[in-house]
Amino acid sequence: MKAIFIAFDQAYYERIIEMLGKNGCRGFTAWQEVKGRGSRTGEPHYGTHAWPSMASAMLTVVEDGRVKTILDALHSMDLETPKLGLRAFVLPIEQMI
Amino acid sequence: MSLYSSSVKRPVTTILIFVAVVILGLFSLGKLPIDLYPDIDTNTIMVMTTYQGASAEDIEQNLTRPLENTLNSVEHLKHITSNSRENISIITLEFEYGYDIDVLTNNVRDKLDMVSSFLPDDSQTPIIFKFSTDMIPIALISAAANESLPGLYKILDENVANPLARVDGVGSVSIAGAPKREIHIYVDPIKLEAYNVSVETIAALVGAENRNTPGGTFDIGSETYSLRVQGEFSDPQQLAGIVVGSNNGAVVHLSDVARIDDSLQERAQETYTNGSKGAMIIIQKQSGANSVEISNQVGKVLPNIQKNLPADVKLDYIVDTSDNIRNTIASLAETVMYALIFVVIVVFFFLGRWRATIIIVLTIPISLIASFIYLYATGNTLNIVSLSALSISIGMVVDDAIVVLENVTTHIERGADPKQAAVHGTNEVAISVIASTLTLIAVFFPLTLVTGMTGVLFRQLGWMVTIMMIISTTAALSLTPMLCSRMLRLKTKHGNFYKRIYGPIERFLDKLDNGFAWLLNRAVNHRWITSALVLAIFVGSLLLMKFVGSEFFPTSDNSRLGVSLELPIGTRVEIAKEVTQRLYDEWREKYPEIKVLNYTVGQASSDNTWASMQSNGSHIVSMNIRLVNPSERKRSIVEIAGLMREDLKHYPEFKKAQVNVGGSRGGGMSGQNTVNYEIYGYDFTATDSVAQALKRILSNVEGAADINISRSDYQPEYQVDFDREKLAIYGINSSTAANALRSRINGTTASYYREDGDEYDIKVMYEPDRRTSIEDIENITLYNPLGQGIKLKEVGTVVERFNPPTIERKDRERIITVSTVVQNRPMSEIIADAQPEIDKLDMPPGVIVELSGSYEDQQDSFRDLSTLAILIILLVYIVMAAQFESFTYPGIIMSSIMFAFSGIVIILFLTGTNLNIMSMIGAIMLIGIVVKNGIVLIDYITLNRERGLSVRRSVIDGGKSRLRPVLMTSLTTILGMVPMAVGQGEGAEMWRPMGISVIGGLTFSTILTLLFVPTMYTIFAAYGMRRQRKKLRRARAAKKSEKPQSSTI
Repeated sequence: MKAIFIAFDQAYYERIIEMLGKNGCRGFTAWQEVKGRGSRTGEPHYGTHAWPSMASAMLTVVEDGRVKTILDALHSMDLETPKLGLRAFVLPIEQMI
Repeated sequence: MSLYSSSVKRPVTTILIFVAVVILGLFSLGKLPIDLYPDIDTNTIMVMTTYQGASAEDIEQNLTRPLENTLNSVEHLKHITSNSRENISIITLEFEYGYDIDVLTNNVRDKLDMVSSFLPDDSQTPIIFKFSTDMIPIALISAAANESLPGLYKILDENVANPLARVDGVGSVSIAGAPKREIHIYVDPIKLEAYNVSVETIAALVGAENRNTPGGTFDIGSETYSLRVQGEFSDPQQLAGIVVGSNNGAVVHLSDVARIDDSLQERAQETYTNGSKGAMIIIQKQSGANSVEISNQVGKVLPNIQKNLPADVKLDYIVDTSDNIRNTIASLAETVMYALIFVVIVVFFFLGRWRATIIIVLTIPISLIASFIYLYATGNTLNIVSLSALSISIGMVVDDAIVVLENVTTHIERGADPKQAAVHGTNEVAISVIASTLTLIAVFFPLTLVTGMTGVLFRQLGWMVTIMMIISTTAALSLTPMLCSRMLRLKTKHGNFYKRIYGPIERFLDKLDNGFAWLLNRAVNHRWITSALVLAIFVGSLLLMKFVGSEFFPTSDNSRLGVSLELPIGTRVEIAKEVTQRLYDEWREKYPEIKVLNYTVGQASSDNTWASMQSNGSHIVSMNIRLVNPSERKRSIVEIAGLMREDLKHYPEFKKAQVNVGGSRGGGMSGQNTVNYEIYGYDFTATDSVAQALKRILSNVEGAADINISRSDYQPEYQVDFDREKLAIYGINSSTAANALRSRINGTTASYYREDGDEYDIKVMYEPDRRTSIEDIENITLYNPLGQGIKLKEVGTVVERFNPPTIERKDRERIITVSTVVQNRPMSEIIADAQPEIDKLDMPPGVIVELSGSYEDQQDSFRDLSTLAILIILLVYIVMAAQFESFTYPGIIMSSIMFAFSGIVIILFLTGTNLNIMSMIGAIMLIGIVVKNGIVLIDYITLNRERGLSVRRSVIDGGKSRLRPVLMTSLTTILGMVPMAVGQGEGAEMWRPMGISVIGGLTFSTILTLLFVPTMYTIFAAYGMRRQRKKLRRARAAKKSEKPQSSTI
């Protein structure tokens, strides 16, 4: 099992949930409004006067086999609209109940 | 959940809510009555008190003064004026606007109760009248007749006045110029004397003979019959057979001493319409009724009425006030339509996308139509003010939607799904959209708090715009994102057609952006020079202020002229008729623009409500002129009035002549401006001489026309001085003698002749040719209780005397008003010209001259509006300071207000328009509109700085990227005003100054704001940075100096 942490522009929210569903991934935990900025490029998402846009974050735990499909799908989404901003990070899961 | 996200999620609900609003609005629109102005509450109460037999001075001392002293303490009183003339005192109380007249009337009544016991015993109880604009007739109809002339009154009364009075909302219908039938018994004094019969005996006998008396009931057999004596005459000629006495055993019949004349009233007003004699029907509306509606109804009934009239009686409108209202409202509605079209074009020009244009333009009808609900709910009308409010708002209601749409588009272009983009895009700008609406509300809401006459007008404007702004913001935050989420697409490719049409526009706009960036760069580089230059332009424009005249209200061309002419007092009506006929012929020939000319001469009978309210008399002529519509003639009403005034100077017969534009003098909002000089002082001769001097001064001032002195001349009259001792010797008292005199000259109503349900007076009086000289008066025979005849000259003498004129007072002091009409020149210049001359006058002690008329109203209103402007500027500052959380930025933005004012001054100067209430209102609206530009600029510049750009880059990038939105919102407002500023329709004079000042102020301010605000920002930011650096340096220095110290320890 792997955990995928996805940080993305708010506008992706529904598309990502839809994509996860299509890939047989039911469970997730999401934070609708979070702040952040990319390490190199991309506009900061601060929800302030200067940077009004906000990001969302999501954590989903999937079987190892699904990770690639999901990452691919996310990557293609990001390439489609690079200005919005989307990053995903895969973390190992050590235990679960 | 926020408004925008729920509306994006529930498009059906959103759209249906707005559809419901539009339907309700259209329903209200259908029900809205139209009128010229918003309802202006009555603010005048008249108190009339009669005291038979008292002279003007007695009336003043014993009635007017005690009444004035008590009434003066009624709350909210603005002015108290009075007229004291023989037998009557009329006090007019003018209150501040905006108070309940019923409460005021009760207060007045309470005060009157307090004072009534101090009034002379013989005076009547004071009567209270509420005067309102409702009393002004809504229509004057002329009735021309040939054969039917003698019976015209009856024909009109039965067939016209009665049906018209039944129309809903019609208050009263009076007939002028058609004398009523009257039966005269003209007695011959010589024959009377010969037969030893007196006038009183004849009157008493006629009264006694002409009577039906029921005699009770009596039984015959099984039936009961009533008994009656039918003494009433069935034919006036039967009167001739009355036995009035006997002489030497022979019976004397009435026909032996008198002549029965079945004709018309001796003295009546005569009305001429287009040169032929006829009658005039005056229609007044009920208080609160809508004139246009009534006039529509009357218009419907009139053709039917015409059918029932004899063939030679022709009805025609002389004045229909609703005509003007309808035309004015129609031309204003047209203006609103043009404004709408212009705004659509501007939006499309800047956006270049039809979907976006539709989304934005939709907010216009929604906000405008929704405001009709407010009008209907509050019982208001569709009038000049409410329609102007629509016209003003068209350019402003789109602003919020534009901001929202722009930001949503940016999100879509970044790749967001339209739905998400709509929600997030709106979310980002919601606060600044609300803030900018708040600044506008800060401007328009205080308008609802203005008092006085201007308040009455602009309260509605304030409410309308505030409501439209709130609705447009609501729509921008709900409907606009919803429509964006549905209609906007990410489209990068455009068709060929689009490229051909929009390509050049796009290139032009890009060039404009770059050109502006270059200019701004230079301006920022030389920021001190730029600021100095801009400030120099501002100061320079203020110097132009000296050359801009001022007035109260613009004169509107409603195609109506009222002319009142006065011949010397006591002139016979025949002379007045003859001169007026000559004048009529001349004017008809000279002014083909005249459509209907109607004039009335002579003394009105007391049962004519309308005429008795106006001044009338055998020497007074009043004219109503209707010109053809302004679009059908070249000369304006003011020009024609000016020429007529010149013409009247060639008629020495007229002692006083007034030509009043709009129908009546000083009619508040229509008509020409008046300057009144009020001369206060007790002494008649002193004030008279000052009045004459003022008249002389004013007649030398260019542009002062129609100069009039309010105090009339001493009226010549004959008085009979009875010798009381001689009267006592003959056993007559002086009132018996006076009554005898009255019944011989004026006549006594002996009885009434009844025919077909109508009553006509039977009057007994001397034969007309027996009362034409002083000898005739002297030879009047009076009878004492013993029946002995005494000649009047034996007990009294007839002398000619002068009757003192009406005593006018204002605010409890005697006053004469010298009034003049402002013609072809700003009011301020006339006053400026006249004042030095007036200052030179040698004023008698106790005489004070004060200015009033339109000038006073103007000063009051300008003062109100200036206070309002200051209040508004403070409110706007507060809103902005809260938005930016800064004291400096709002200050910088405020500079655009300065430029707006210079823009107004410049454009008024260039177009030669006067500063008046309408342009002041334009200026006040500008406060809210121009600061929006500054807000947009500063907002984006600070945003750039927060994003880490340098001050310079922030300013230039910000300026460049905000150029289009600023130009777009300004242009929508400017072009929305163009139809108002250039309008030629009826009533356009009213709103033209407002349109002109908004266009001038906004154009000038937009251009200067775009350069000056960024420059000022740089100056302040540079100063702020220097201060920060200094602080930093000091802190560092402090640290450095601290270190070695610590090391030593």
